Amino acid sequence: MLPPFDIPAGSFTLVTDELAAPADFLIHQVVNGYIKEHPRPGRGAQVGEESSSPKVVILSANADIAKWKAVSSKHGVNLPLHISSGVVKFVDIASQCSLSEVSEPRLSATFDVVSGLLPSKAPTSGNVVILDDVSTLEWIGFSPLDIIRFVRALRIACHKSKSTLIARYHITIPGEIDNQLTQLLTVCTYHLDVRPLYSGRSGAVTGEIALHRGAAAPPDDVKLIRRSGSLQYRLLDTGPVYFQKGTSEGVL
Amino acid sequence: MSSFRRKDPSKQSNLKSYAGTHISPASSSIANTSTGITSLDDILGGGLPLSCSLVVAAPDLHSSYGDLVQRYFIAEGLACGHRMCIIDDFAQDFMQDVMWFPRSSSAPIAETEGSASSSVKEGDGMPGGDFKEDEELSQEDRKVKIAWRYENMKTFQTTVSASSSTLENYCHVFDLTSRVPVSLVDEALRSQRLSLVATRGPSSTDSERWSPTTSALRHIEQVLQGQTTVPVRVCIPFLGSPISWGDITTTDVLHFFHSLRALLRKYPHGCASITLSPKLSSDTWGGSGWLQKVGWLTDAAIKMTAFSADPSLSATFPAHHGLVHILSLPCPSTLVAPSDRFSTLRGLASSASGFGGSGENNLAFKCTRKRLIFETLHLDLDGGVSERRTTAPSSTAVELTTATGASISAATGEKCNHTATGDHTHISGGPKIDIELEGGARDPPKMDAQKEVVAVEGAASGTSDKKAKKPKKRVAFFSERPDVYDF
Repeated sequence: MLPPFDIPAGSFTLVTDELAAPADFLIHQVVNGYIKEHPRPGRGAQVGEESSSPKVVILSANADIAKWKAVSSKHGVNLPLHISSGVVKFVDIASQCSLSEVSEPRLSATFDVVSGLLPSKAPTSGNVVILDDVSTLEWIGFSPLDIIRFVRALRIACHKSKSTLIARYHITIPGEIDNQLTQLLTVCTYHLDVRPLYSGRSGAVTGEIALHRGAAAPPDDVKLIRRSGSLQYRLLDTGPVYFQKGTSEGVL
Repeated sequence: MSSFRRKDPSKQSNLKSYAGTHISPASSSIANTSTGITSLDDILGGGLPLSCSLVVAAPDLHSSYGDLVQRYFIAEGLACGHRMCIIDDFAQDFMQDVMWFPRSSSAPIAETEGSASSSVKEGDGMPGGDFKEDEELSQEDRKVKIAWRYENMKTFQTTVSASSSTLENYCHVFDLTSRVPVSLVDEALRSQRLSLVATRGPSSTDSERWSPTTSALRHIEQVLQGQTTVPVRVCIPFLGSPISWGDITTTDVLHFFHSLRALLRKYPHGCASITLSPKLSSDTWGGSGWLQKVGWLTDAAIKMTAFSADPSLSATFPAHHGLVHILSLPCPSTLVAPSDRFSTLRGLASSASGFGGSGENNLAFKCTRKRLIFETLHLDLDGGVSERRTTAPSSTAVELTTATGASISAATGEKCNHTATGDHTHISGGPKIDIELEGGARDPPKMDAQKEVVAVEGAASGTSDKKAKKPKKRVAFFSERPDVYDF
């Protein structure tokens, strides 16, 4: 999944980004790609256990469904239709926990909701769970310990149901890895690192991406992209255009 | 039968059109509203989109450019007839200093709900006296002989000009020398178009733990629920000031921004503009990466760093008053922020289409007598501060006279002789530079000047020492441009 990266399904991918190069487009690409690959079964199809649980669960700390719908429509995906049919499910974490009224909010309520949404036995076509994003949860008041426990529990639940988990984390100090990120890196299978160009914003190149193996990665043949030879991309409204660093194939 | 159907632009957008807004050029489902400053609207990509929040960080303690931006926001809201909500303990005093239309053109009648396009009368036809000055200057420039190959190029512009049409109800041109009439403010308060909310006050239920941010959010929600026919503008001119907001923590502020954004998404006819108090605008208060966090949790965030804290910067860029850093830009319905494609000031659009693609322009702001302008920042024509001049410009020669009356402009080139001062100038014992004074003064006065300068240095008189030192310390160069404060 996630072309041109060859990330296998069922893994836990941590996506890190910075304010100058946000990784929204990757998350949208995952959701839209998944919906296109697994079209909705027709009305005459058998109602099995697979269609009762949503295929894509998006746990969002930012309640911005309008943007999701607008971006998906640009990619030719009718997101409202898939939400109403139950294929895609949005869960707003902040409203689940009612932050303002509880002095120490906990994420256990959200976890209960999510585990109810995941299928109890592994379906043939894997599900996708997206956690967008971990750093916002920390900033708005959830305790870091609670967050990392939630992420680990989510990882185990996804592993049991062979779902792919993608979590997003914002780096606020470029080059520095804080405690939260260290702990996330120990749990993840793959780490997609999106960074802006060192020389600042450019009209032609938006940023660069590297793919690293996380601490929990099994030995496999996934082609990694190192930071030195990273893939650069230019973001357009229709999605990113990737090209090798230093070349100008079809972009510049 | 062809399946091709031409899109009808009038039917394309099912967006409810509000007064004082434009449809965003990037997406037909988003409406932009003006901040009151044309150049800031350009930086944001056409204006502040409804359902978005703008945060201005102004870390300088000694200047108030941050709340100047908020005053423009309020003035524009009043002129367009939007519903305004200002959250501050001293909002009443703040309202008295809001700018208004220039006295020369007639001020528009206050927009009431439901009234159609603006009733601005065309006063003298020009949007403001300032433009007249600019036009006169450009005409003088045209008399300068330009090389033939450059004659057809348009003049170098550092900012976008205001819309010349005074009939358009978007981004009105305000004059800093005039104030909003008190009657207009009172009328707006009476008709509930403007509400001034204090942060301190008992909450509705005393059992709840009261905090300024939660009460502010509650007020904002009430305003957004109560008014749906016109856009709602929420303005917080001093978020984090100790008097109004008490001991606020970073989590409180971030949670406030997060909840505000959720509220604005829920009621997409509202927008918010907030200035952080100087204490909250720097990383020393919030920890490293603080402004990045603010940028993530709000839609648009800019930082205006005034030069008043750093005299060397104000000498290097004499025409500007501060730098502008863009942290994040509004992007409510697209992957790429509309500003990247449509902003003239940032210059990304023009660079992307060309071969290679360069970076975006540096931005700065300046506050003239009549308005606040955001501009592109360029180095001087001379190439910056490290260039060595061989002729003293005439204006420098005029200014550098000692108490004895003799011109010591020659001394600027002879700095190598005065190593005793231990100054940081870069010429130290290097080759002697020949200086030719403009106006005909030749060798004899130069020699005399040198002797006199030595005498002055030895005399250790305070004022003349300062005057002798003054040209050495200045590393920027004077130009023939008139000083902006020449009035």
